[in-house]
Amino acid sequence: MSDLRLRLTGVSRTYRGGAGVHGVDLVVEAGEIHALVGLNGAGKSTLMKLMVGMLQAEAGTVEVLGRNIFGTDGVDWAQVGALIEYPLAYGELDGRTNLLMAARLRGMRGEAAATAVDGAINELHLDRYSAVRARRLSLGNKQRIGLAAALQHHPKLIVLDEPTNALDPSGVILLREALLRRAEAGAGILISSHHLDEVARIATRISVIADGRIVGHLDPDGIDIERAFFAMVYTAEATTT
Amino acid sequence: MNTLIDAVAVESRKARSAMVLWSTGALLALGVATLAAVVVVAGRGGDPAILAKLGPQAATGDWAALLATAAQVTAAGGLLAFGVGLSWLIGREFADGTVSGLFGLPVSRSDIAAAKLIVFLAWAFAVSAALTVLLLVAGVALGLGAPDSAAMAGLVRQLALGALTALIAVPAGWAASLGRGLLPGIAVTVGVLVLAQVSVLADFASWIPFVAPAFWSIHPDVDSALALSVVPLVPLIFGAATIFVWRRLQLDR
Repeated sequence: MSDLRLRLTGVSRTYRGGAGVHGVDLVVEAGEIHALVGLNGAGKSTLMKLMVGMLQAEAGTVEVLGRNIFGTDGVDWAQVGALIEYPLAYGELDGRTNLLMAARLRGMRGEAAATAVDGAINELHLDRYSAVRARRLSLGNKQRIGLAAALQHHPKLIVLDEPTNALDPSGVILLREALLRRAEAGAGILISSHHLDEVARIATRISVIADGRIVGHLDPDGIDIERAFFAMVYTAEATTT
Repeated sequence: MNTLIDAVAVESRKARSAMVLWSTGALLALGVATLAAVVVVAGRGGDPAILAKLGPQAATGDWAALLATAAQVTAAGGLLAFGVGLSWLIGREFADGTVSGLFGLPVSRSDIAAAKLIVFLAWAFAVSAALTVLLLVAGVALGLGAPDSAAMAGLVRQLALGALTALIAVPAGWAASLGRGLLPGIAVTVGVLVLAQVSVLADFASWIPFVAPAFWSIHPDVDSALALSVVPLVPLIFGAATIFVWRRLQLDR
């Protein structure tokens, strides 16, 4: 049980018009990189929003680090790092100050915060941008700041929605290595993506989501996972229509 | 309590680098002080046509004219400036998309909302204090002499008026939270401004919290001072409502 970083059980949330996620079960274990793949609008972001309380589930439970996120016990959110939708990068602050603010929001202060920030700046090669205001950074470098904010405190659970968005090839490799290091150290990682080749490189488990439902799993070492992915998605669409 | 301290530290650091707050504050403080100084200079010029336009209160060209003019402009301009500042402090999280990074943290969104209100009040009080100092400097520079007891009372009243005006601007934060952007906050500020100014002109309902500071700025007597006691209800009610909106916030639209 202590190895379970995230567990969703029968989670549903429906938007007006019927879109959303429906009866989703999903787990992320310690040391695992679990990839959630699906087409645009499949429900990946909605599912991730439910994991950090950006949305409340209408049915089912979301357990983060063993605690129900809407329960009374309280989740240790300092042990969670998430980047969903926009990076937490305030235009008026430079890269380093943005990271210090992100650390402070997780209760890190003084030397501990500075050490964590310096580590993340080195790890994601942000040195050149640490003194540059975020409003002057490219989208890709803002994304790097957001990723550094989510990873710098070495959380036990990492949730990243389309993390390679806007990243250049070197940024993609740096992120991949950072995630592999953290998984090796025991973090449970959930990433969403629609780049099958990218997730196949690092994922230990791949779940396919279509029309708000988990419709199957792909073998990361499979020979033609793209074909398998589309077969699952089209079968699911045929079933629902 | 520690998480509220963390939230205040973060919000105050953001505010210190925010050009919107610096420029809005500077515009209010320098604008009101300059306008009041110009009125004094005009009053001392003695041109009967200008004196007639200024009215009896501003035409005297002394400390009373300087402070009366400043008070009237602060009641309207201060509300607009403070409403814009608070709308930005809250609405920018939605406009910039950074609100999504404020979930899944040990610092609760209630603490973040409370921190924003605390930082707003600190900023608005600092701007009010700067305006008061500028008026003192302007009066001395214009050769009005050292302020006498009446002028000192007027300066204290000016400081209090700035703070009270900040308090009645708090609904802008609630509207910006509920409407998830800057414009709803600004719209509510303009609504409050119209209500206050029309009520003053019509000499009506000085006891309404939104109206009381403007009324007091024009008629600083005992009755209007008593009406000020209801002003704290505005930040209490709308501050609590703002925190409530943030606590229940879901990014579902």
